[in-house]
Amino acid sequence: MEAAGISAGIALDHHDDGHDDHHHGPPPANRSSRVSHEVLGMLLFIISEIMVFAAFFAAYFFIRLVAEGHRWFPFEGYELPVAIAGVNTAILLSSSLTMHWAQVSIKNGNRFGLKVGMVLTSLLGATFLFIQINEYIHIGFSPQDHAQGTIFYGLTGLHGAHVLVGLSLLIIVTVRAFRGHFSPEHHHGVEIPGIYWHFVDVMWIVVYTAIYII
Amino acid sequence: MATANPALVPEITVHSVEPEPRGWVSWITTTDHKRIGILYLVTTFVFFLLGGVEALLMRVQLGAPDNTFLTPATYNALFTLHGTTMIFLFVVPIMAGFGNYFLPLMIGARDMAFPKLNALSYWLLLSGGIVFYVSLFFSPPEAGWTSYAPLSGSVYSPGSGIDAWIFLIHLTGISSLIGAINFYATIANMRAPGMGWGRLPLFVWSLLVYAILLILALPVIAGAVTLLLTDRHFGTGFFDQGQGGDPLLWQHLFWFFGHPEVYIMILPGFGMISEILPVFARKPIFGYKAIAAATVVIAFLALLVWAHHMFSTPSATIVLVFFMVSSFLIAIPTGVKIFNWIATLWRGTVEFKTPLIFSVGFISVFLIGGITGIFLAVFPVDWQLTDTYFVVAHLHYVLVGGSVFAIFAGIYYWYPKITGRMLSESLGKWSFGLMYVGINVTFLIQHSIGLDGMPRRVYEYPDVGNLALYNLISTIGSFMLGLGVVVTAWNVVRSLKKGARSGPDPWKANTLEWFLPSPPPANNFDVIPRVRSVEPMKDIRRQIARQSETPVELGAAEPTPR
Repeated sequence: MEAAGISAGIALDHHDDGHDDHHHGPPPANRSSRVSHEVLGMLLFIISEIMVFAAFFAAYFFIRLVAEGHRWFPFEGYELPVAIAGVNTAILLSSSLTMHWAQVSIKNGNRFGLKVGMVLTSLLGATFLFIQINEYIHIGFSPQDHAQGTIFYGLTGLHGAHVLVGLSLLIIVTVRAFRGHFSPEHHHGVEIPGIYWHFVDVMWIVVYTAIYII
Repeated sequence: MATANPALVPEITVHSVEPEPRGWVSWITTTDHKRIGILYLVTTFVFFLLGGVEALLMRVQLGAPDNTFLTPATYNALFTLHGTTMIFLFVVPIMAGFGNYFLPLMIGARDMAFPKLNALSYWLLLSGGIVFYVSLFFSPPEAGWTSYAPLSGSVYSPGSGIDAWIFLIHLTGISSLIGAINFYATIANMRAPGMGWGRLPLFVWSLLVYAILLILALPVIAGAVTLLLTDRHFGTGFFDQGQGGDPLLWQHLFWFFGHPEVYIMILPGFGMISEILPVFARKPIFGYKAIAAATVVIAFLALLVWAHHMFSTPSATIVLVFFMVSSFLIAIPTGVKIFNWIATLWRGTVEFKTPLIFSVGFISVFLIGGITGIFLAVFPVDWQLTDTYFVVAHLHYVLVGGSVFAIFAGIYYWYPKITGRMLSESLGKWSFGLMYVGINVTFLIQHSIGLDGMPRRVYEYPDVGNLALYNLISTIGSFMLGLGVVVTAWNVVRSLKKGARSGPDPWKANTLEWFLPSPPPANNFDVIPRVRSVEPMKDIRRQIARQSETPVELGAAEPTPR
């Protein structure tokens, strides 16, 4: 095991893919599924994330439709910036496209495409987060004002937290891309954060539809 | 790699090999699924003993009317600690403990899919337990394991005990979630060659469904306790009617998790019983596919019945009817399983060893719990019985008679594999006798206590009717049950040194873990056998017998070719 670690370290120093075919230790176990366990783990994690969002959506619709004395959303005297949030939606969705470009690029061995794709994706993600925070500053009500305000901040904040986590992953991938990691054969490190980022984007469509449009 | 310079890579000089950690350091740093499994099993059993002591203290208080042994606040803290400990720190994680140890062995894998996450999930569990129990030293939570809003809000529970409870849910929740993802990925990805889905041991099937239910249910309560936390500390109003929220929201979110949790606690038990019965009946399991399918159907229905815990809250009749009927439906796949277990025993060559006795005890006691469950699923009956001791009796029949008996059957069945030593049969039978009688003496009478109208979670009661006698009987039973548990605990400790050597396969069992020496070596399998049926060990034993007796067999077979 020690030797494997050292060989990986040397390979990395040469700006090379660390996981080349020098396998030490016991032979790999029998693979009984075509999906690798890393990808499967991420997909299962995303299912659990969907359930966390489901809990928050349950709270949202409960407060909006079932709870006593419900008024409309958000409560009277306040307007949600639907148009700005719509532009923000477009920004986040286009980041999914650039992410996809980065993933396809590394599969085809196009390192330039990977780097540019990752930088663009990170910038778009950061822009989304910036506009979201700006919206919080100017919206005029606080989470403590009413359950309606609470759940607005609850749902968008939960999503924003996920964007932040996704963005951190993207930045790690970007740094690694510039350090010469990944190859057409070994790109789990791009693929798995990519799956997470696509999930964050798709979930935003649901959040946006539920809160801003309906 | 196209750009790799092959001459550079082999130039490695290892100056020193780091020594393997020894002693307690090796246990803290381990990522071996077997060691993590043992850590899980020991830790959760300690929590089980703590929860048991809490239960006995409550039973002492209730042993006589108008008793003043405990203060009301202490009593509230005790039932909260007892329920939370048993559910979140004992039954759910001990199933993960058995799963950790035996899942890779049963499917012929080297380890779990994510060994480091596996270690993380154990240490998160332990941290959750410590965070929760530390609250004993300032202000223990007093809102029950359900922590209903608004009782758990900052107005009625100003102390920090509820926060300790919330952190326990978060920590053990993440622990179980990581464990569940690990189980699923391991089962999907690391099965031995030849082990298709139709040859998966039934315990592994139940762990798969356990994992799916955890992945679907746990995040919901993680969300709910997060809302509770912000309500308590940041002035939000999710559960506060004054701010436009609704306390009922808590109940919906809690029970959407809470009911699948019931099956999370019992399904791996079902799986253990399905492994143990065919071994000791010396007969294949009756209806393998039916049992596996019933497990999946139970899990699916479990997600659709949560509001039967909320029949006494205002809801439209059609909603009540839906949840009543969906709860009835669960009886069908459960009945299929009980039928199959009995059919497995039927005309088998039954060996009355302790694991089998616990399994049979499980079937009988769990059946009673299931039937009272059908009573409670009828909503007009539930209106009468909700929050009485009838509910307490029901849930303890399925949890103690169900999950705990299955766990004890599992301990007696697998202890030889983990330690290489047999547990004492006579102590095991004593333990079973005390526990079986203890359960029935403690909890059967509680149905009557509930029908007489005594509510649960009260610390005292007046001397009216037969309540004093009934409660005294229940208290006596609880000490028998406790003694039975102590006998097994003593058996486990004593047999570590004094138990007979077990050898690799003391029971002549069916699944792959018995292929290995006891205890198994760190690398599990040197050779992974090819799996050709649901009972690979039977095939292997047959093959060995054929190889050693080939000439004799051939000679004997010659005169009668047919």
